[in-house]
Amino acid sequence: MPAESNTETGEVATPAGDGTGETGTPVPDTESIDDEGFVIGSGRSGVVRQLGHDDFDPVGTLVLIAIYMVIVGAMWIFMYFVEFLGGDLTVIG
Amino acid sequence: MATFVDRYPEEAKVVQATLVVSFISLGIGAFFGLIQALHRTNVLRVIDSVDYYTVLTGHGVLLALWFTIFFLVGLFTWAIVKGFDRPVPDIRLTWAWVGLMTTGAVLATTAILAGFVPEIPMSADVLYTFYAPLQAHPVFYIGTAMFIVGTWIAGADWFLAYRGWRQDNPDERIPLQAFMVLTTMIMWFVSTLGVAVSVVVFLIPWSLGIIDTVNPLLTRTLFWYFGHPVVYFWLMPAYLLWYTVLPKLAGGRLFSDPLARVVFVLFVLLSTPVGIHHQYLDPGIAEGFKFIAMTNTMFLLLPSLLTAFTVVASVEHGARQRGGEGYLRWLGALPWRDPAFAGMALAGLMFAAGGFSGMINAGMNINYLVHNTLWVPGHFHMTVGTAVALTMMAGTYWLLPQLTGKPVYSRPIGLLQVITWFVGMVFMSNAMHRGGLLGIPRRTAEPQYQNFDFVAAVGSIGEIRMQIALGGVLLFVSVVIFLFNVAATWADDRVDTPVDDTIPEPLSSSSGAPLVLDNLALWTGIAVVLVILAYTLPLAGIISDAGLFGGSRGFSVAFSLEWLVDATVAAVTNVSLDSLAGVAPVDAVVDSLQEVSR
Amino acid sequence: MEIHRYEKIWLAGALLLIVGFIATVSYGAVGAGIEMINDEGGQVDSTALDEHPKFSEPGTYKTGPNEYDVYVIAKQFLYEPGTSEPIRVPANSRVTFHVTSADVIHGYEIVGTNANTMAVPGQVSTMTVEFNEPRKYGLLCNEYCGSAHHAMEGSIQVVPQSEWNETMVVN
Repeated sequence: MPAESNTETGEVATPAGDGTGETGTPVPDTESIDDEGFVIGSGRSGVVRQLGHDDFDPVGTLVLIAIYMVIVGAMWIFMYFVEFLGGDLTVIG
Repeated sequence: MATFVDRYPEEAKVVQATLVVSFISLGIGAFFGLIQALHRTNVLRVIDSVDYYTVLTGHGVLLALWFTIFFLVGLFTWAIVKGFDRPVPDIRLTWAWVGLMTTGAVLATTAILAGFVPEIPMSADVLYTFYAPLQAHPVFYIGTAMFIVGTWIAGADWFLAYRGWRQDNPDERIPLQAFMVLTTMIMWFVSTLGVAVSVVVFLIPWSLGIIDTVNPLLTRTLFWYFGHPVVYFWLMPAYLLWYTVLPKLAGGRLFSDPLARVVFVLFVLLSTPVGIHHQYLDPGIAEGFKFIAMTNTMFLLLPSLLTAFTVVASVEHGARQRGGEGYLRWLGALPWRDPAFAGMALAGLMFAAGGFSGMINAGMNINYLVHNTLWVPGHFHMTVGTAVALTMMAGTYWLLPQLTGKPVYSRPIGLLQVITWFVGMVFMSNAMHRGGLLGIPRRTAEPQYQNFDFVAAVGSIGEIRMQIALGGVLLFVSVVIFLFNVAATWADDRVDTPVDDTIPEPLSSSSGAPLVLDNLALWTGIAVVLVILAYTLPLAGIISDAGLFGGSRGFSVAFSLEWLVDATVAAVTNVSLDSLAGVAPVDAVVDSLQEVSR
Repeated sequence: MEIHRYEKIWLAGALLLIVGFIATVSYGAVGAGIEMINDEGGQVDSTALDEHPKFSEPGTYKTGPNEYDVYVIAKQFLYEPGTSEPIRVPANSRVTFHVTSADVIHGYEIVGTNANTMAVPGQVSTMTVEFNEPRKYGLLCNEYCGSAHHAMEGSIQVVPQSEWNETMVVN
């Protein structure tokens, strides 16, 4: 894949007036033309900092995926033991 | 700042052409879906129940085969050209397969639509699975075969591009997008062999009267040999977009290139030796083979579960780069107003739910509960109908500007469209799952029976029907908005930089991936061995039990005189007068008389 | 190959989930005794069912104390028996259905239960279930079989032991 997008922090558009990372959730204006001249810049125009390979631990992903695993496990038990085995006429041969 | 269409204008034309065919199929197929959703819920019936199956065949074939696969070949052509950064080997070859696929699709569609016109002695109301001995007009089978051969030539085209690139870059890693295309096509070559044999060796000669009979279990097993890998063929374009485009749209970078390669290799290996899980309740196949198919299927969850982590982590990386903080608050930092991002993210969320009902489908004996009930279309409308279809529509908002040089007509309308689709599908698919658990069957014009009622423990049958009807309407509205937005984009003027089309380097790059992952010949070999192990004995059993050509003559989908006699006897001996007030069977008999008379 | 620590945790979790699913299904087969439709029903000539020892006269056959075989033919667009007259079986009995098709592929679903199988021409599906309380079950075809597929239905009457009599069996 092309490496052309390895932009340095200085090139990244930082919409004025938006909150930055320290305050939580900035709301970038994705409808604007970004400083690279694209009519639509989804993503890069809202980037406020560059996180390299070593700066990033996907802890949020781990949390989401753990929630998913709990839901799937519980639903499986409900479906198998209540809906299926608890149902009428089990095929036994 | 040139985009794809400026650098590869000829290839961009090809991709635009395949998208046009894809979106026309989407429009017609979605309209059929609307008719069905209103008909089977008894909200609005504009067609005869007899014609429902013509509509249903059209819905399945146009959406599951033409819409998805024409989009796929366009996307893959784009990915190959962009990935290798060189033109296709010979544009005439490329146009040849586009032409062949389109001709095949038009022929098969003609055979299906002719079912609406009694004057034309042609019909193909055999649904997308075309189980023999229900027999369609030969043109349906021939068109389908041409379409599949077209996809083979497309695959050959991409492998030729790979060979050319490899000669110039002997030591490079295969670019990730191209790697995804090539591995997907290996899976496709291995798996379409089944349906090709079924159609060319058995169904075409049989429909032409060259052979008298077929073995229905054999053609059915060959169909499912192909029928499960085809769902991954639908899914792989979505995965390609989730892995390579979604992180960028989120403002981040792909978390791990090596793991993406591992996932695609696992799909090459495991997609095909699992088809028997569609036949858990078939006679003539020993339970042991069903258990093997289940084990393979369960392990096939692994690449999708790994994908969930890698893709979500890549999106999270984007959110963090956009300033997101916290365990879950970062979700709010994502570019939810971008239709391309929002559509793909919602598609991924729906896939998590569809993945669960897929786990149930995979569980061998629990299949008794859900087999052929409305649960099953509930499942695949979440997977192919949202994970794939919504990702493709969302991806279009990012892709089309690169292919045309024109900016998307309206991004807010695009956002409205993807949200409408998601909401519509929430209504429709949850109701279908619940209806299935009550025993309501799939693939039927009128789930209203004389002998019994379906009983809902929670909610009511009426409420389930209303949700399906409402969902169907919303989904159709979403398609109309989508087609409008796309058409308006096409009609726009070109601009210099219609979209940011760069794809950032992965966080963990391909240099960390073991070289063996790029050894395509090795994975092909192992995949073939696994298929031989999983299928030799079941197929040998089916053939030795009932013969290669079996004993089933073709049956029309329409009424036979014999049935009329039986039905009359049944009516006289059993049906009381007041049950005739339920008109449906009376309608059916009238229709059948018309059918016989022409 | 470098894999992030969290992804390794998830990999382990995913494998646990997969093994758990397979274990549950295995428990259903071994512990709860659920058997799949398989190849034990054998084959028939779908064009000559009238020459078959049982399918020539489909219906309920007594095979032992409280044990019955029910032979059912599915065809466009009815069950024989089942549609023009209900299938009759006694309460508190163990019943094995033998289902085949005379023409195209059909389904055979006892509505709202786990009894569900395909009916494939040339093949016989066998399925054993236990009926307890007297009641009526609906029967429907859940595989598309032609233009009146939606009208293909029937019923099963579980008859109280006290009302069960010789005329309800074929043999």
